[in-house]
Amino acid sequence: MRGQRPPAGHRVPSGESGRRYPHFDVLDQVPDWDPATAATVVGRLARQPDLRFFTPAEEATAGALFDRLLAQDGPPGAPKVPVLQMVDARLAEAQTDGWRYADMPEDGDAWRTTLAALDEDAAEQHGAASFADLAPERQKELIRAVQDLHGKAWHGLPAQHVWSLWTRYACTAFYAHPWAWNEIGFPGPAYPRGYQRLGVGLREPFEAADADPVDPTGGRGTG
Amino acid sequence: MSGPVRRRLREAAGTLRLTASSQKAVRQRNASAWLLPEDGARFDHRLIEHMRRFDDTEEVDLVVVGCGAGGATLTQRMAHAGWSVVCLEAGPFWDPDTHWVSDEAGSHHLYWTEPRVISGTDPVPMGSNNSGRGVGGSTVHFAGFVPRLHPSDFSTRSDDGVGADWPIRYEDLRPSYERIEQELPVAGQYWPWGDPHAYPHAPHPVGGNGEILLRGADALGLNARVGPVAITNGRFGNRPHCIYRGFCLQGCKVNAKASTLITHVPDALAHGAEIRTEAMAVAVETDPQGRRALGVRYLRNGREHLQRARTVAVAAYSIETPRLLLNSANRRFPDGLCNDHDQVGRHLMVQGAPQTAGRFAEEIRAYKAPPPEVSCEDFYETDPAADFKRGYAIQTVSPLPITWAEHVAAQGHWGHDLRRYMQDYVHWATLGALCELLPLPGNRVTLSGQKDRHGLPVADIAYSQCDNDRAVVRAARATMERLLRAAGATEVITIERYAHLVGGCRMAARPEDGVVDGDLRSFAVPNLLITDGSVLPTQGSANPALTIMALVDRAAERLVAGARGGPPERGRP
Ligand SMILES: Cc1cc2nc3c(=O)[nH]c(=O)nc-3n(C[C@H](O)[C@H](O)[C@H](O)COP(=O)(O)OP(=O)(O)OC[C@H]3O[C@@H](n4cnc5c(N)ncnc54)[C@H](O)[C@@H]3O)c2cc1C
Ligand code: SF4
Repeated sequence: MRGQRPPAGHRVPSGESGRRYPHFDVLDQVPDWDPATAATVVGRLARQPDLRFFTPAEEATAGALFDRLLAQDGPPGAPKVPVLQMVDARLAEAQTDGWRYADMPEDGDAWRTTLAALDEDAAEQHGAASFADLAPERQKELIRAVQDLHGKAWHGLPAQHVWSLWTRYACTAFYAHPWAWNEIGFPGPAYPRGYQRLGVGLREPFEAADADPVDPTGGRGTG
Repeated sequence: MSGPVRRRLREAAGTLRLTASSQKAVRQRNASAWLLPEDGARFDHRLIEHMRRFDDTEEVDLVVVGCGAGGATLTQRMAHAGWSVVCLEAGPFWDPDTHWVSDEAGSHHLYWTEPRVISGTDPVPMGSNNSGRGVGGSTVHFAGFVPRLHPSDFSTRSDDGVGADWPIRYEDLRPSYERIEQELPVAGQYWPWGDPHAYPHAPHPVGGNGEILLRGADALGLNARVGPVAITNGRFGNRPHCIYRGFCLQGCKVNAKASTLITHVPDALAHGAEIRTEAMAVAVETDPQGRRALGVRYLRNGREHLQRARTVAVAAYSIETPRLLLNSANRRFPDGLCNDHDQVGRHLMVQGAPQTAGRFAEEIRAYKAPPPEVSCEDFYETDPAADFKRGYAIQTVSPLPITWAEHVAAQGHWGHDLRRYMQDYVHWATLGALCELLPLPGNRVTLSGQKDRHGLPVADIAYSQCDNDRAVVRAARATMERLLRAAGATEVITIERYAHLVGGCRMAARPEDGVVDGDLRSFAVPNLLITDGSVLPTQGSANPALTIMALVDRAAERLVAGARGGPPERGRP
């Protein structure tokens, strides 16, 4: 299984990654996982299937949207959690969560519609052919504008349900990946190993201490 | 002796009596735990290979739709009593060794993900948050918290002027609660709320998250208890001990956490029941006059079949049960089977389940140990001083990374902000409230215009809250924030959620008010029962699975007694 680990690629570069668990790699534990789980998780490191759902235009826009939502903004060629491919596979297989808001289309159509709407915003506001052609800062502005609409309509859809769709798919893919676990100190699968040292402040030998425990809230309230 | 000392002694004696008692009676009633393999495998495949198989044309004593909490319990009870039983289950027969993984995203197949539409002013997301499929149903991925309802839950209309009165009382259910608690079996400290009682297994050690709730409760002078969880903590047949790996919501690969796949199905198979998987029920058939159910039509391998039976029980849970009845409309029941009084699908409930997380300088690592650890029911009953009726419970919940990302994203974080916040994961402890939201007639399941891949109309689920609902959720959130801060949290964040569907085909004293009576028999068709979570008239602030199983245990007992002594009397015992 270890052979399938890309060399040194145990972290996804971003302005925020790698400060807190610099040497932690959950993939060191693969030999301790049960075969069914190991196959599932290690499969995420393998080359992903070719895109089947997104059209080329949607691919460009969705790719840029995921990169901004998840700050996967390393230099070209840097290791990256293949969020675009993971979401594409789910949509191609119609592997939805099993529900939709009455005021939203089924997930696949909702993706197509909202990606086209992002391109329209890019054209109207910046004269660009595609959302993907904009500089990252411009892309972020357009994304933020959707978030800020909350309950109001955006291209005929309730903006908060669009936001829920985007973030749900993006986070589900990204935080399913072992590289994302490395960044947050989560040791991943735990069968058949389990945990023995339970309680506040206690760690197993294979858990790494937080090397830079800064409070992200800065003591400010967000809630 | 002082009062508190006497109380402690009584609790200790009760606990000792239960934990030291012989398991012989349990094993005679339900030997499932002893029918599991001893060699480390998680299910004895010979039970499936040697399973008795009935022919569709053979009229069996009972056909059950759905093999979850209620369906599997009924199947086991009736097979044990000598009935010929076929249980139709839409999903597969799970093998914990090979089908389940110790991973969040890899567990997607455990959920019911056929399309559904959600509407109303407060729509309730379905999928992973609400219902399962396959043998074991939602108990495969339920957390495993198994508190009882309180005696007050059975008469909220009379006592508080809200909700509905049940056609049975708490006392009618107590023996069934005790039996099911022994069969799961339940581990926990002596329970001081509602009807105080002991549990058969001792409480589990707690992880960081549980420690925080105990610490917060202690600081505020509130009661908190470890448990009650359906996770073995001691010898029980061939059920191994929990390894505290924290993936209870992904299906327990260890067989430590109860699911009906391991607590009731093995004994059902050993007593000749057939569990027919990948069989999707599409309609309950009746005679032309609609006086008797004749069997269930279902799809399997792309072909339609009819399983004939003398008695039919529907146990497909709060969305699929009403949907099946509505899709079973016929000449006698043009608006849906058993829907003479427009009750099918109505009074659907979910608990308000806000989750509040607190930030601690220490490492909590909430992903270790089972998410269900500690409970507090000090706020369960109506508080005369509050501006709302009924109340809420507080429990530990321990989100894994994807679920935690949902919390963080709900605060509006994305991009670098999200990544930075997420890296703080190990410092957060999370509590969840279960708020009793009231049964409202407008919260209901109807058929939408959309069709599923079988060509059947899908369910539209409308949900809107009332003022009392919003007030109780607000109060629960404030209490969780207080608890976390008292435990030392420097920051708190809250996400609004729902949990636990129930209702939709409620039990009532009269046909005008509900779909089934206290014995779970439908008012309209005497040989049709509903044996799942949809029968609950109110939900209290307790997780529902234990109550569902206890109601079915009681209904099964009465069905068996009735079969011996002629048709049972309808209504109260
Ligand atoms: C994430 C999560 C955590 C939970 N945690 C807890 C907890 O800690 N404690 C607790 O008490 N409860 C918990 N619950 C709720 C609990 O699991 C359910 O309330 C309970 O299992 C419902 O029992 P049921 O018999 O009504 O339905 P289910 O257990 O859902 O069984 C219904 C079965 O019917 C099958 N079915 C549906 N339609 C058809 C059809 N047309 N034909 C054939 N088969 C069909 C389904 O596949 C399913 O197997 C949780 C639920 C979830 C989702
Ligand atoms: S924590 Fe215990 S009960 Fe939960 S899944 Fe793991 S072994 Fe099973």
